[in-house]
Amino acid sequence: MAWIEKQRNILDFALSSLVRRWGKNLALVMVYTVIVFVLASILFMTHSIKREASLILRGSPEIVVQRILAGRHDLTPGRYIEKLAKIPGVREVKGRLWGYYYEPSTGANYTMIVTDEHRENVGTIAIGAGVARSSDVREGDMIPFRSSDGSYVSFEVTGVLTPESELVASDVIEVSERDFRSLFAMPEGYFTDLTLKVRNRKEVVVVADKIRRLLPDTRPILRDEILRTYDAIFDWRSGLLIVVFTGAILAFSIFSWDKATSLSFEEKKEMGVLKAVGWETSEVIAMKSWEGIVVSLTSFLLGVILAYMHVFFGSSILFMPVLKGWSVLYPHFKLVPYVDPYQLAALFFLTVVPYTAATIIPSWRAAIIDPDSVMRL
Amino acid sequence: MIELQRVTKVFNKGNSNEFVAVDDISLTIDPADISVLKGPSGAGKTTVLSVIGAMTKPTEGRVFIDGREITSLPERFLTGIRRKTFGFIFQQFNLIKGITALENVMIPSYPSGEKHSSLKKRAMDLLQILSLSGKAMSKIEWLSGGEAQRVAIARALINNPEIIIADEPTAHLDTKLSEEFIGIMAALNKEGKGVVIASHDPLIYGAKVVDTVVEIRDGRIVDKEERL
Amino acid sequence: MIMHPAVISLFVGSVLVCLMVLYSARYGATILTRWDLRSGSELQLTLERKTYLISTIMSYVFVFQLFSLFLFIFTADKLSTLFTGAMCAAGTLNVNNFGYPTMVLKVINFILGGMWLVLNHADNRAFDYPLIKKKYLLLMAIAPFVIAETIVQGAYFLNLKAHVITSCCGSLFSTEGEGIQAGLAGFPVIPMKILFYGAMGLTCLAGLYFYIKGRATGVFFSLMSIVTFGVSVAALISFISVYFYELPTHHCPFCILQGEYHYAGYPLYLALLCGAVGGTGVGTLFPFRKIESLKDAIPLIQKRLTLMTLLSYLLFTAVTTGAIIFTDFRLDGY
Repeated sequence: MAWIEKQRNILDFALSSLVRRWGKNLALVMVYTVIVFVLASILFMTHSIKREASLILRGSPEIVVQRILAGRHDLTPGRYIEKLAKIPGVREVKGRLWGYYYEPSTGANYTMIVTDEHRENVGTIAIGAGVARSSDVREGDMIPFRSSDGSYVSFEVTGVLTPESELVASDVIEVSERDFRSLFAMPEGYFTDLTLKVRNRKEVVVVADKIRRLLPDTRPILRDEILRTYDAIFDWRSGLLIVVFTGAILAFSIFSWDKATSLSFEEKKEMGVLKAVGWETSEVIAMKSWEGIVVSLTSFLLGVILAYMHVFFGSSILFMPVLKGWSVLYPHFKLVPYVDPYQLAALFFLTVVPYTAATIIPSWRAAIIDPDSVMRL
Repeated sequence: MIELQRVTKVFNKGNSNEFVAVDDISLTIDPADISVLKGPSGAGKTTVLSVIGAMTKPTEGRVFIDGREITSLPERFLTGIRRKTFGFIFQQFNLIKGITALENVMIPSYPSGEKHSSLKKRAMDLLQILSLSGKAMSKIEWLSGGEAQRVAIARALINNPEIIIADEPTAHLDTKLSEEFIGIMAALNKEGKGVVIASHDPLIYGAKVVDTVVEIRDGRIVDKEERL
Repeated sequence: MIMHPAVISLFVGSVLVCLMVLYSARYGATILTRWDLRSGSELQLTLERKTYLISTIMSYVFVFQLFSLFLFIFTADKLSTLFTGAMCAAGTLNVNNFGYPTMVLKVINFILGGMWLVLNHADNRAFDYPLIKKKYLLLMAIAPFVIAETIVQGAYFLNLKAHVITSCCGSLFSTEGEGIQAGLAGFPVIPMKILFYGAMGLTCLAGLYFYIKGRATGVFFSLMSIVTFGVSVAALISFISVYFYELPTHHCPFCILQGEYHYAGYPLYLALLCGAVGGTGVGTLFPFRKIESLKDAIPLIQKRLTLMTLLSYLLFTAVTTGAIIFTDFRLDGY
């Protein structure tokens, strides 16, 4: 195929031309790589967090029922459990106990929760890895808590939780039911909220509807809705970051426009020589396009690889605070490496399309130089 | 046969710096000859040369190559014809710095779609004929003036053109190299290639091997001398 | 508006493409009024040079259009979690009235861009720019479509409000629903199969005859290739999809693009789009076969385009037929 040979030869020349002006091109590739790196980091991070969150939520109950009092979340009476259990399609109803505990010494907000595993272990707690780090405790240590009547109660740490996902469970403290009730002075027979398991996933909406009619003072929260909210919030945050970075992309486009426009005398002469010895305008444009493709692909790959290492091996040290939010307990969490082609496609669009658009006219302008220009120098 | 019919070339037409480089020239070039365009610098030799070599479109007038009118052809066809018909040697050789002599010779043939290996072989053969095979992998900036000149000639020959066009080829060469140049041109002419040179160097237009000398002044032909 | 990264990139990309096409159209207008090949004037030289820029821009736009079509569907698919009732792209596109029009415009613009490039390719084979005016007239016609796509797509994204209850492929493309989609899904299978294989067969026969003998069946082939494009999409919804999903009630044309079905949708749709571009390209060139300077070039280009369409359509038929034969799933009785 003559066409392929031709493109190969032109590509060959484009590569040698890039290498010859390595200083200028290195600067371009570096800036380009940084742009790709930043955007790729944001995308990889949000995507993995979303994925992680949805993995966790997959194991959670389909419906959570909260009692609402004057529009505020209130304690739910235990007798609601029996009422709910009678709704057809409901497999299991459980009362849940959880709340927040503010620790002034570290300035952190812990999530206190009663789990099935820890319900009976009075006087002990199991803590999330983040809690262990922030208050510097190990298994066997005692931690004091200030109860609602002002007195201090100490619990022995019997375990540090090592969950699959640090993101959600990092600030968790598991306590027994009795300790929980005495610590917060929560009356017997009441729960923070109730969880429901439903036999058939497709009936979730129907069941929720029945709950609303049966117990008008409650609010059923569906797992799918939580997932959706998660998705929306993380997409929104990464979108917001990307909007912030569109400024950077714009600046980069202007930078590459400028690089492509401001050809040195030597480069202009080179184009002139090519035209003079028998290259045609479209062939010089092809050469310039190859240059652009090489620069784009190199920077894209470099940026993506660096971002991958940053997010999945380097714990996204650079952007985590922005995306994860306000918690003081920055979990040292490692995301599970996961990249899907879709993210790469979006990233490619965000970076390569503006670059190409910015260089198309300068390349053409370089290519239309008169072939006889070298004779008139 | 290359025929220029009443060719005029105006630069910056309509502007205050309008400049008539070539004024109503008609000329025929025999591709079997060595022809020289002679005249002082600024006389319009280079412009006539680039019109002959299909590099510049005339503002008025028509150009025929082997009876085919080329003035109204789109660039992509013009380039194709130029590639096949002409090989160019420039005043300062205009070799591309930073790449090897071999690559410089190959460049004009890149767009032809020839296989890289066979193209490379042809280029090496040319360099050998011009006794440069030892310098094939040297970068241009390491070559002497005479070597650079021969690389430029090899580059002009890579597409196997009918006619070699040279613009003031000896301007930067000493007498010995200038004589070597005209010697190579004579040898190529014997092999059947036409040669058109623009020069104000007496060593060139006075050389015995030259068949035709056309004198140009202020964009017009003032004298044409056919030597037999 | 949903601040999704892909939404932003699609939006930015289409605005850029829109600007580039407008820029080209502006010079297209000058070419239409001032082009004079015989003139050696500066303006003519400038215009001739601009044609290089515009060809380059249009090739890039064409490639962009293809990617953006797939990215658009892919994004709709991903966003489906945000909308109650949406489970794939079908539901997300249905959230407001601009989703499906955007997609259709993207397909149209891709095919129009292909037509332009075919015309341009042919024009570049002739010594005298015989198609230059037609080419730029077509460009002027394409520009409004590209602008429309940008606007409609913008409107679609701006009006995407999460928590809108939409209906998804299950109800849109179900046999009991109303509207075009449901109509397609509910179309009886046997006639649809006959229609599909009939159209494919006719197109391929006509194309093969045209490829070997030239002329004769060419126009018919070109028309049929467009009809077949439509019929194939309909067939995909009506019965082909069902074999891929192995579910008699699932007729969604988008789920097939997902990883669960091995991304089978991509080669399928790509083959259909290539076939349609090739077919329309053949048709576009017919009026110009008599032009002296194109007498030799056009039949050759048409042959190549015909071959491209034939191969694409055969690939589509082979893959879908393969899926129908080799799955254990049987549609009998539905």
